[in-house]
Amino acid sequence: MRPTDPIKLVADLLDLPIQDKEGRYCGIVDDVELSGSAGKEMRVAALLVGPGAYEGRLPVWCYWFVRKVAGDRIVRINMDKVNQIRSVVQLKCTANEAKLHAVENRARGWIPKGGAL
Amino acid sequence: MNPLEITLGIMTAVGGFVDISELVFAAQAGSIFGYALIWVFAVMTIGIMTFGEMSGRVAAVAHQPVFNLMRHRLGLKLGLVTLFASVVSTLITTAAEIGGVGLVLHYLTGAPYLLMAAVGALVLGASMWILPFKWIERTYGLLGLLMLVFAAALVAIHPPWDQVLGGFVPQIPPGLSEKELLKYGYFAVAITSAVLFPYEAYFYSSGGIEEEWGPKDLPNNRLTTTVGFALGSLLAIAILAISAQLFRPINVGPQIPGSSALEAAIPFGRAGLLAALLGMLIAIAGAAVETCMANAYSVSQFFGWEWGRHRKPWEAPRFTIAWIAFMVLALLIVLTDVDVMSLVEYAIVFSIVVLPLTYLPLMLLARDRNYMGQYVNGRLANGLGWLFFAIVTIAALAAIPLYLLTSGGQA
Repeated sequence: MRPTDPIKLVADLLDLPIQDKEGRYCGIVDDVELSGSAGKEMRVAALLVGPGAYEGRLPVWCYWFVRKVAGDRIVRINMDKVNQIRSVVQLKCTANEAKLHAVENRARGWIPKGGAL
Repeated sequence: MNPLEITLGIMTAVGGFVDISELVFAAQAGSIFGYALIWVFAVMTIGIMTFGEMSGRVAAVAHQPVFNLMRHRLGLKLGLVTLFASVVSTLITTAAEIGGVGLVLHYLTGAPYLLMAAVGALVLGASMWILPFKWIERTYGLLGLLMLVFAAALVAIHPPWDQVLGGFVPQIPPGLSEKELLKYGYFAVAITSAVLFPYEAYFYSSGGIEEEWGPKDLPNNRLTTTVGFALGSLLAIAILAISAQLFRPINVGPQIPGSSALEAAIPFGRAGLLAALLGMLIAIAGAAVETCMANAYSVSQFFGWEWGRHRKPWEAPRFTIAWIAFMVLALLIVLTDVDVMSLVEYAIVFSIVVLPLTYLPLMLLARDRNYMGQYVNGRLANGLGWLFFAIVTIAALAAIPLYLLTSGGQA
C-alpha cells in the first residue's frame, strides 16, 4: 500500500510498528494527525509517535500513570517520510533523522560495550 | 532445506520442551492419577503444535512477531491489559525457573539454595549477554537432550505398555469422589497451561525473526513444531508414566523436582541420577532464559523498541535493559524465600488466564489473507486453532475456581 492510497485508519495504520529505511524498529503509530476540514477530503498529515500520543486513547488515570513513567513526548512524522504501509510502516529516512531514537540513543550510553559474541 | 539445520531445530525443540512446571505436574499427575492424565499432555501438544506453527508462519511471512501485531489487532487498551498480564505471569514463571535452577544446583553441590539461585541467575544472565540468539537456543536445547534419560528409564522399568497407551485415550477415571474429581480437573487445567505457556509463542515467533525466517523456512517450521514438540512432549509423558509405575503404588508424592530425578536413579543408579539432574538443570535454565527473553521481547515489541539478541546488547539497549531488569526482578522474588512450588502454581494459574488473549490475535492474523497471502491458515489450522482457543478459554475460566477449591491440587 502506498501512503497516498485510501487507508482504513484503525485497521490499516493505528498501532502498527514503524521501521526506518535500515529496517530498525523505531516506534509504533500511536496516533495520527489529520488535515482537512468539515465537508472536505480528510488526509493523514502525519504519524504521531510517543507516550504523549496516548492521551485520549487511555482512561485518564492510566494516562496519568504512563505520563509519570514515560513522559509525554510526541514525535511527528510527516507522511512524505513514509515509504510504504504493510505489516509495518516503513520510513524513507533513518530513525535518527526522524528523531525517533532519542531515548534508544540515551539508553545506549548506559550499556557497556564489549564481551558479547 | 538444510537437513542439518532441520535436525538441529528438531533436537532443540525436544530438549527445550520440558520446564519446571511440566516436571512437577507430570510427576505429581502420575503419582496421583496413574496414566489417566497422559491424554491431556497428548491433546495439548497438538494445541502447542498448532499455535507454534502459526506463530512461526506469521513470523516467516509477515516478518512480525506475535506482540508487534497483537497491539495492532487488540488496540492500545486491551493490548496494554494483555501486556501487563503476560508480563506478570511470565515474570512469575521466570522466578519459578530460577528457583528450580537453584534447587537442582543445591542437590548437585549441597550449597545453600538461595546462593545457588543467585549464582544460577548470574550465569544465565552472562550467557544471554555473551551468546547470540542462535547459540543461546541451541546450547540450552541440545544440552537439554540429557532429559532423554527419562525416556530410557521408562523403557528400562518395563511399564505395562497397554496401560500407558490406554492413557492416551481421553478419560475421567471411574470411581473418583467429588473432591478427587475437582483435583483431576485442576491437574488437567495445570497441564494445559504448562504445555501451552504463552511465553512459548512469544519466544518462538521472536526467534523466527531473530533467525530471519522467510517463506522458504516454512517446512522447517512445520517439522520443528510437529516432530520436535511431539518428541519433547513424550519426555513429559515418560516422567508421568514412570511416576505412575514407581511412585503411585507406594504413595510417594513427588512434589519437588528432586523426586523426579529419582525416576532415572531407580533403573540406572548414580549415573542415571546425575544425568537426570543435569538434564533438569539445563532444561529449567533454558526455560528461565526463554521466559526472561520472552518478557523483554513482549515489552520491546509492544512499544516499538529495537529488539533482538542477533544484535549486540548495546545495539538494542532498551531490550537489553528489559531482560536484565526481568532477570533481576525474578531473582529478587526468589530471594524472598518464597516456596518454589508455590511459584510454579501461581505461574500456571496466571498463565492460563492470559492464554486466550495471547492466542486470539495470533489466530486472527494467521487467517488474514492481507498479511499472510497464500500462506494463510488452511481449514485444518483454522479448525484446530478455534478448537484449542475454545479449550484454553474454558480452562482459563475454570483455573482460578479449581485452584481455590483444591488448594492448588493439595486438597
